[in-house]
Amino acid sequence: MQPLVGQPFRLGALFGALSRDGAFYAFVAPFALLTCLFGLWPILLSFQVSFTASATALRADASYVGLANYVAILSDPEFRASLWRTLTYTAFAVILNVGFALAMALLIDSRFITRGRTFFKIAIFLPVVTPDIAGYVAWKWLYDRSFGAINAVLDLLGMPAFGGLASVSTVTTAILIAELWHHAGFYIVIFLANLAVRDRTLDEAAAIDGATTWQRILYITIPQLRPAILINCVYALIQFLKTFTVVVVMTKGGPADTTNFVSYYAYQLFDQARYGEATAMASVLFGIIAIFALSAYALGNGERGR
Amino acid sequence: MKLATILAGAGLAALIAAGPARSQELTIWHDLGDNGNKWFEQVGAEFAKTRPGVTIKPSSFPTDQWFGRVIAAINTGTSPDLIYNNYERVIRIQTQTNKVSDLKDVLGKISDKGFLQEDDLRVATYGGKMIILPVQRVQMALGVRKSWLEKVGETYPQTWDDVKRVAVKFTKDDPDGNGKADTFAMALQAAKPRDLIHMLDLFTFGSGLRSTLVDAKGDVIIDQPAHAQVLEEFLKTYTVYGFVSPDTINHSFTDMYQVIEGGRAGMFRVGDWNVKKWDSQAIKGDFVVGPWPQFAADRQNAVVIGGMRGVAIPENAPNRPLAIEFAQFLLSKPAQQASLELVGAAVRKDLDTSNLSERQKFFAEAKGKLVAYDFPESIHTWYPELEAAFHRKLMAALASPPKDFKAFIAETAAEMRELKAKLASKP
Repeated sequence: MQPLVGQPFRLGALFGALSRDGAFYAFVAPFALLTCLFGLWPILLSFQVSFTASATALRADASYVGLANYVAILSDPEFRASLWRTLTYTAFAVILNVGFALAMALLIDSRFITRGRTFFKIAIFLPVVTPDIAGYVAWKWLYDRSFGAINAVLDLLGMPAFGGLASVSTVTTAILIAELWHHAGFYIVIFLANLAVRDRTLDEAAAIDGATTWQRILYITIPQLRPAILINCVYALIQFLKTFTVVVVMTKGGPADTTNFVSYYAYQLFDQARYGEATAMASVLFGIIAIFALSAYALGNGERGR
Repeated sequence: MKLATILAGAGLAALIAAGPARSQELTIWHDLGDNGNKWFEQVGAEFAKTRPGVTIKPSSFPTDQWFGRVIAAINTGTSPDLIYNNYERVIRIQTQTNKVSDLKDVLGKISDKGFLQEDDLRVATYGGKMIILPVQRVQMALGVRKSWLEKVGETYPQTWDDVKRVAVKFTKDDPDGNGKADTFAMALQAAKPRDLIHMLDLFTFGSGLRSTLVDAKGDVIIDQPAHAQVLEEFLKTYTVYGFVSPDTINHSFTDMYQVIEGGRAGMFRVGDWNVKKWDSQAIKGDFVVGPWPQFAADRQNAVVIGGMRGVAIPENAPNRPLAIEFAQFLLSKPAQQASLELVGAAVRKDLDTSNLSERQKFFAEAKGKLVAYDFPESIHTWYPELEAAFHRKLMAALASPPKDFKAFIAETAAEMRELKAKLASKP
């Protein structure tokens, strides 16, 4: 079978490929159809709803209002604040998660850990497979200022109480930690997979040439981890721009809107049946995610091309 | 020939009249859970005695899902016959669909309705339409744990000063006797703006005042002395007094109920709908109910009417005439008696309360002075936006308490006046 990817599009070639590889396309067609039906169609429908008046959004004869919903949300200072909050939170979360995961992966892969490597891998991946709601409820209890374990320990040590979820100054840190616990294991596994296939002879050669451990990590290992860094960054960007569950379970957007990110804000509008504005918010978020993800891939491809 | 035709027609009519009644099903969507289902089924069985063949099919949804489902169903022509909920929630259905029937004429045709007060009908009306037929009053009062009061040597707090004194003892004197400092004086909520405003309404109307943010004319009143006093105490209760759990700022209904039912708070809001459960489970009747405490000697404190619950009929309800009949039937004595026994609330005053607990009787017999919410959103279109800004200010104050609460209230009042003028001038 000749792949069509990379060839200039010609109708004749398409028909030729279809007749030549009919069986392949026949097998693929149902899944392609399902992908379009359940993957693309809801996204397109969501875009469509964002151009309708909320009250009529679900009717067959929905009335279209052009860009009115987009104008409404962009002139809403609460939405603009929420968008900015989401972007800054995402930046912190991506750096923290990917940085932490990279450090942990290097540590697990290093010669410092001689025994129990599998145990550490399992332990670090376990939170990823834990249902997120259960995990965040446990974190909420840990942070509780009246009976939570964290403040109990701080109290025992004679240290000042941690504001946790109840304080504007600590709530973002609190949910960042909870999200780090839940997601980091996934990024670590990706890094470990990349580390397993790296060229170790380069590392040995650098060691013979007298490079220090830090120099080898910086100039030999990390450059080889570019594919994993790219994948993890893109995935983390998508993940944290959509931050939702942790907010629903732990903070409900508070205190004082400090954790009212775009996904949760849009959800609140859905709850009020303001479908037009809610889907407009979702579309804006989708656009931002798409731009970031495509830029990151373009950047990654550019790096490979050099 | 003519005679034969007449006879045949008469025979056919007689056959139809004497034949089995056509079965008809009325669907009703509510958020009252199992007790609500039992109530509608029981009333449905009673209704079927006069309308054979009619069955009632109630479906209960969690409140947030109820909104979405009702709006979607009405907008897509798949509406249920009746919807049931709190007045302010039906307003939201009306604003999103504009298809909630005006029930003014329906009420007009009911002869036995003297028990409905002017306030009941006022809150059931929105934009000139009677959007619900009110069948239950939502009453809220203060509940205090009986055993805790006994332990700290206090009685039910009558004034706000009493509350503060009892609150300190509930926090410091180990009222549950477990040897740990793990109790709070009060359980409140604040996670969402609506949570917070419900609590403020309770403080405001319970103290005998008639408005939370604006008066009947639409003027901002929060810095008037009586209002400012209540607002200041309200904010301090959440913050500097330390009467509530430090996490209250993130507490929604569920969290607040966990604090109450988990035995960690001594004073809490009791709604008429809570009593049946709390009499038998969780608190197991270990609580006293009374009006909200008195804030000023010259102003009578009250039990708060937080609105009316009732049935609404979508304009595109599939069995509209029958739905109207059933809605009217919900005000009959048997339907109201069942409502009182199963849901804990009603609007009629001629019901049998002999089988109710003292706490249920407190609400059923309306023993305290009743003060209803003001519902300015039904008069001023700009109110929801003003209220949202007010919520944000209050939430910010809870998150970072101001040094001078009086100055904060004055500054907030000035901001609200400016915003109100801007909103009111919008075409």
